[in-house]
Amino acid sequence: MFLSEDDAKSLSERVLSRSSADACVVKIDGGEEHSLRFARGAATTNLATSETRIRISSHIGGRVGSVTTTLLDDDALQAARLRSEEIARLLPVDPDYVAPLGPQHYDPSARYDDNAAALRLDALAAQAARVIAEGARVDVDTFGCASSARQFEAMATSNGLFAYERSSEIDLSATARNKSDRWSGWAGAHEFFGQRLDAEAIARRACEKAAHDMEPVDLEPGNYTVILEPAAVAELAFWVMSAMDARAADEGRSFYARPGGGTMIGEKLFDEKLTIRLDPADPLAPEASVGWEGVPHRARHFIDKGVVNALYRSRSWAQKTGAEPVPFGRNFIVEGSDASLDDMIRSVKRGVLVTRIWYENMVERKSLLLTGLTRDGNFLIENGRVTAPVRNMRFNQRLGELFGNIVALGKTERTWRAAGGGGAAAAPPMLAESFCFSSKSSGI
Amino acid sequence: MAQSLAPFKDAPERAGADSGDRFALDRALLHDLAGLALEAAKRAGASYADIRFGETLREYAQAKDDRLEHFDERRARGFGLRVLLDGSWGFYGARRLDSASLREGVDRALENARAVRPIQGRPIALEQLPAHEAEWVMPMGVDPFAVSTRDKADLLLSICAAARDNGADFCSASLSVAREERFFANSLGARIRQTRTRIHPGFTATAVDRALGRMASRDSLTPARGAGWEYVTGAGLLQEAALAGEQARAKLSAKPVVSGDYDLVIDPTNLWLTIHETVGHSTELDRVLGWEANFAGTSFIKPAMLDNLQFGSALMTIVADRSQPGALSTIGFDDDGAPASSAEFKIVDKGVFRNFQMALGQAHYIGLPESNGCAYADSPTAFPIQRMPNISLAPNPEKCTLEDLFSGVENGIYVVGAGSWSIDQQRDNFQFGGQLFYEIKNGRLGELLRDGAYQGRTLPFWRSLDGLGDASTYHLDGTFTCGKAEPVQVAPVSHGSPPARFRKVRVLNTTGDV
Repeated sequence: MFLSEDDAKSLSERVLSRSSADACVVKIDGGEEHSLRFARGAATTNLATSETRIRISSHIGGRVGSVTTTLLDDDALQAARLRSEEIARLLPVDPDYVAPLGPQHYDPSARYDDNAAALRLDALAAQAARVIAEGARVDVDTFGCASSARQFEAMATSNGLFAYERSSEIDLSATARNKSDRWSGWAGAHEFFGQRLDAEAIARRACEKAAHDMEPVDLEPGNYTVILEPAAVAELAFWVMSAMDARAADEGRSFYARPGGGTMIGEKLFDEKLTIRLDPADPLAPEASVGWEGVPHRARHFIDKGVVNALYRSRSWAQKTGAEPVPFGRNFIVEGSDASLDDMIRSVKRGVLVTRIWYENMVERKSLLLTGLTRDGNFLIENGRVTAPVRNMRFNQRLGELFGNIVALGKTERTWRAAGGGGAAAAPPMLAESFCFSSKSSGI
Repeated sequence: MAQSLAPFKDAPERAGADSGDRFALDRALLHDLAGLALEAAKRAGASYADIRFGETLREYAQAKDDRLEHFDERRARGFGLRVLLDGSWGFYGARRLDSASLREGVDRALENARAVRPIQGRPIALEQLPAHEAEWVMPMGVDPFAVSTRDKADLLLSICAAARDNGADFCSASLSVAREERFFANSLGARIRQTRTRIHPGFTATAVDRALGRMASRDSLTPARGAGWEYVTGAGLLQEAALAGEQARAKLSAKPVVSGDYDLVIDPTNLWLTIHETVGHSTELDRVLGWEANFAGTSFIKPAMLDNLQFGSALMTIVADRSQPGALSTIGFDDDGAPASSAEFKIVDKGVFRNFQMALGQAHYIGLPESNGCAYADSPTAFPIQRMPNISLAPNPEKCTLEDLFSGVENGIYVVGAGSWSIDQQRDNFQFGGQLFYEIKNGRLGELLRDGAYQGRTLPFWRSLDGLGDASTYHLDGTFTCGKAEPVQVAPVSHGSPPARFRKVRVLNTTGDV
């Protein structure tokens, strides 16, 4: 159930006013979601859901107990509050306890659109129909998922903080396969604003990539020149970003740890072409205004021209180390340039064009050694031209080396990402050398 | 062969009406609400409808070093109604349990079925379904939710202390508990009430050499189980944490793995995940049909390979079940209302691929009359899809110990515990790390190694299986969090196996040339 700001405030005040704890934090979130899937041009599963959750965290004597419930009647809320207080009383004292925040100033983040918020399954079916029709036109099978949502998050504390923000989302991704089921293509997009999603373009891109009758080639494992399309760059950048935890660096457990102690903030660890930032006000991929602990998200360059500029830091670790808390980011922008993807392809003598990557996992955290595979649209580039589809390859790639030796970046665009549960990401295509494909797969 | 399947043969407990005190939701209310919704759906023209009500209670606690960082309890109730109208599914779910919400749910589910009709193409077709009326309660000793908060907090802090007192610089420990209560009803008359509890105590001990800029960690080998608190108290977690602290420290200065092809003896604490990824997912019929092509992926297996594909060596028999005691997919009925007995089948028998896993409405695509009980929805508000039952590698009927497996290896590696994992979307090329790697030299276990991972292709790997432990070496492992579908659903599943030996598998050094 989607709650307005007034309703969320009223509900949170109702809980806070009855708290008998030293301090109390109430978080409420929820909304409505619609989703449908299709395979081989026909509908398979769908859903519409409505959900509201309230999380009550009671602070008693430097201890915090939390209870979350979807039951919003008075009796249930009282039971949840009392249970959170009971948990807090039973816990050992937290040596790094931090009290709830008071009022904060949040930069606005435009992530809500009435049109996207109102979309139901009929509108999503119309988008799927465009993909299916394009597949029929170019004689490929189509598979995909269309979804929309409107969601809200509210946070209130007994120290006077109240924050509320809402977002709408629309997401369309499409996979196409040729009729012999021997080649595959993919395209996808995620937007907060309904009119920014171009279903026709997604359908065309996925089907164009799949419409190859040529038998895919196998490449031998080795180091290759690659052009990674924006979805692949965003996926890889997520892993660079998700490792940027200050505590792990301070404790020597991270790529961002300085040998001998401390962090690598201020050090140039990547190519100067690499800049990754978060910004609630940037309409391309706006970060939320409110971070998980209520700390405001600010426009911030985490990596600026290759230099590590900031690391995430929880409130308790910030208090312990005397540093500024920095909330973990979910949405980010990788800066690009004006180069076009076609120009990049023309510049490559022999290499691989990668549409997207899949099932990444960190193999070795200290060196950011990531493994994963290509899927749905790997192509061989020879003498500046795409010449053949290429079967999937496994990569084992140290991300410091990959993002430390960027040959060129193209124009940044909003893209789609699966890693980390999705979120808004904008990234450019990237040309890089010596990308390590370590073995072959029979997959496409 | 029946004797070798001893770990599988215990049937789940069938509880009678007197088991009602294990259920939080009111039986009469659920029956009334189900009747209301299903009748309304039928009156509106639905040829079939089913509904799931439920409550999931979770507890998650996490400690880091000397600090209890989180202690959260979460309770979620709701329903999900699925209707089949003119050959199209329509689904609506909400986190409410009242008649007004149910009435709205019927309208919205029907609206959704009508909305997708323009892109339906092939109408959804269902097989004949049995209509069971039953209750099932997972056998359990001590209810984890009845154990004091302080005891749980103290246990986690003690685990951290044990690891740090024995070589680890850092330790994080966690406890996840979930109790699912579900009531399933369909328009054919099924009325099934079930409840089960799962629990996973875990930790990671980490040692750091700041001068060398090196770190090593050792995750707990204690698996997630369908069990009560007695499982936690009997797991020897403090002893394991102390050992893990020592091993994390030892890994810092262990001999690096030299990349190359090795004979591997893989411990069940590692092999379960390889079974999950290479066999469990590749034999899901919805993936084979392309229903997951856009995200979770497809499979290298095609329908025509049924009964024809030589998946592995003759030692390889993979069994599906919903009855292993303590296993995470053990339950009385799946989320389509199919009884656990439907899910008792062999996926691979003596190396030959014999069965897909199927949910409602899939069997006819491969010419079979009915599904085999492999549906699960991760919450009442989620659309039920095909998910794994327990899937396990049957032990060797002949006597074979772990030492027997080592004895057949001249130059190999013994892999213990699950590490980093990855597999391509068609389930062919995989790479798995581990917690502990030991060299095997001339038939004997040797030194601890560091920085290893093994890589392979599913069929050559399983065809290279040439040694298998017997039932005395069998171990049940598993996970709370197998992801699939859009929106992503997370399923618990167990995989048992004995240790097994595989020939000439590629091993990487993850700090060297990869």
